[in-house]
Amino acid sequence: MEYISLFVKSIFVDNMIFAYFLGMCSYLAVSKNVKTANGLGLAVIFVLLCTLPLNWILNTFVLQPGALKWLGPQFESVDLSFLSFIVFIAVIAAFVQLVEMIVEKYLPSLYSSLGIYLPLIAVNCAILGGSLFMQQRDFTGIGESAVYALGSGIGWYLAIVALAAIREKMSYSNVPKPLKGIGITFITVGLMGMAFMIFMGIQL
Amino acid sequence: MNTNSNVYTVIYTAIVVVIVAAVLAFVAMKLGPAQDANAKAETLRQMMSAAKIRSTEELYATKNADILQLYADNIEEAYTIDLEGNKTAELGISKDNIELVSKLKPQNKAIKAGEGATLPVYIFKSGIAVIPIYGAGLWGPVWGYIAFEPDCHTIAGAFFDHESETPGLGAKIKDEPWFREKFAGKTVEWGDEPAFRLEKNAEAQGGTNAVDAITGATMTSKGLNEALNTWFNAYQKHFGLGAFFNMLEQHAIQTTPNAEEE
Amino acid sequence: MAQKLKETILNPILKGNPITVLVLGICSALAVTVQLKGALVMALSVIAVTGLSSLVCSLLRNTIPNRVRIIVQLVVVAMMVILVDQILKAGEATYAIDKQLSVYIGLIITNCIVMGRIEAFALGNKPIPSLLDGLANGVGYGLILVVVAFFRELLGSGTLFGFQVLPASYVPNNLVILPPFALILLGCIIWVHRAFDKDLQEN
Repeated sequence: MEYISLFVKSIFVDNMIFAYFLGMCSYLAVSKNVKTANGLGLAVIFVLLCTLPLNWILNTFVLQPGALKWLGPQFESVDLSFLSFIVFIAVIAAFVQLVEMIVEKYLPSLYSSLGIYLPLIAVNCAILGGSLFMQQRDFTGIGESAVYALGSGIGWYLAIVALAAIREKMSYSNVPKPLKGIGITFITVGLMGMAFMIFMGIQL
Repeated sequence: MNTNSNVYTVIYTAIVVVIVAAVLAFVAMKLGPAQDANAKAETLRQMMSAAKIRSTEELYATKNADILQLYADNIEEAYTIDLEGNKTAELGISKDNIELVSKLKPQNKAIKAGEGATLPVYIFKSGIAVIPIYGAGLWGPVWGYIAFEPDCHTIAGAFFDHESETPGLGAKIKDEPWFREKFAGKTVEWGDEPAFRLEKNAEAQGGTNAVDAITGATMTSKGLNEALNTWFNAYQKHFGLGAFFNMLEQHAIQTTPNAEEE
Repeated sequence: MAQKLKETILNPILKGNPITVLVLGICSALAVTVQLKGALVMALSVIAVTGLSSLVCSLLRNTIPNRVRIIVQLVVVAMMVILVDQILKAGEATYAIDKQLSVYIGLIITNCIVMGRIEAFALGNKPIPSLLDGLANGVGYGLILVVVAFFRELLGSGTLFGFQVLPASYVPNNLVILPPFALILLGCIIWVHRAFDKDLQEN
């Protein structure tokens, strides 16, 4: 089934972190413990799942060249694709603002531990990247874009929770003082990235 | 004024949206023609570089107006074909009828769907035929122009471009002359699967339709390879054996016995 | 007052460096540091964009409703970058430069440093300090980018700025041009930085 292969591919082969290295800033900064990583990961999945299909609709019916022909034949030559960036970002920012308000009200401890990284989901290259890849890859329906969004989000989530688990365990190791914390994290992610290269180019 | 009241928020958002939309729309409208002119001249430079009309450096040092004139002086004919290899329309040799890169994406879709494609062919006075190719790289589209010698089998030259491949890796397809120079003299084996091989260690494996992929740019090379083969297969019915003889007749070119063995 | 300004300018270079201390702007640090030339282009662009957007957002800071804060900031940044891109695309002489920059445009708009500094500084400070903070963070970012690109280009291709520096017999190290190596290199830079500046060490 095509949906299943798209789903599996977007988690492992097209992993946002390890194949494209998108969404690094919040990935590295929020992976100190599994609890906050869990929270941020779920927020990313939610935002991706909401924004990607919506951006697909906007792209298909408003932005891409010839998209406006449903308004009338005289609009077929209109090409609004130069607005893509700003439209996608506005949609993503709107949802992130929504998520921020919800988290602030119902999960205040998560809100304070995420700090600036919650609004930074809006510039999370992984989320914008998801929408931009969707635009290039020409998904045939909202179903495919939703599956891709879910898979990408889960891939990002798995990556951040895996790193958080490693970092929690590493806090008990004898890392040299200058490397402790963010330094050893960079090196760990580099090694994880090298490991994930085995997935590169797998055709599903 | 309470900046957090609902009314203020709505009005502020509305004003921001209107200002941004107006500014961007105005700029796009005013600058559209100039941008199109630049894009057209760029396309012509790349096509003529592939067709070896002038060297790449010379073409990029030439002004837009002169490029248009150079094209008009050197183009013999231009037409579109369908997937069956039949001519569908004359594009005319007017410098206004260039297929911009933005037209390539829907054609790519049509090729993959197996119908409805109208693919351009440009033939220069030197007998060299140029066709575009288009596909998906790692971060965005990759495209290019392949020029064929009059035998429609040997590549005379190539030029590649991309939208957002990694500088220093995938971007080498455009930035490094040695990469596109490799294509000159190679052949396209029409009808073979694959017609062309841009793969790791392809050259060592033999065959004249092979070029090595760029180290460190595996995904970009793969995307370009797929683009080449998809479009070569689309043009196959036109450039394959039958059209080859038509081309000979039209240009009254003397052939060697070897070439006729194809 | 002058002391505070001095601190605003000098802090982001080392002690408050956006990449190695604040952990912002990583994605682009991995992508564009394969060559020194690319790293410099990106660095200059980020310096300009961060400075200008911090300035604009600081000027608007008292008018932006809290609920749409993120959207407004992003739209401001995106609009400026897109405007510059469109203008460059239209000029005959600037078209080639724009083609080179367009690869980076996406990476600049979503660069966490731009948003991060607007949220953390520009929204609560006056325009001139915000402008300086934005520029300084851009410079701190550029510094790290250049260091990483130096090693990646030297070891990965044997060249610097396109000029062959290592002898032709040097076999380029292919691991170095891949992103994971940039991460490891950044880890080492942090190691060196914190070995000298003990305040930054974590417990």
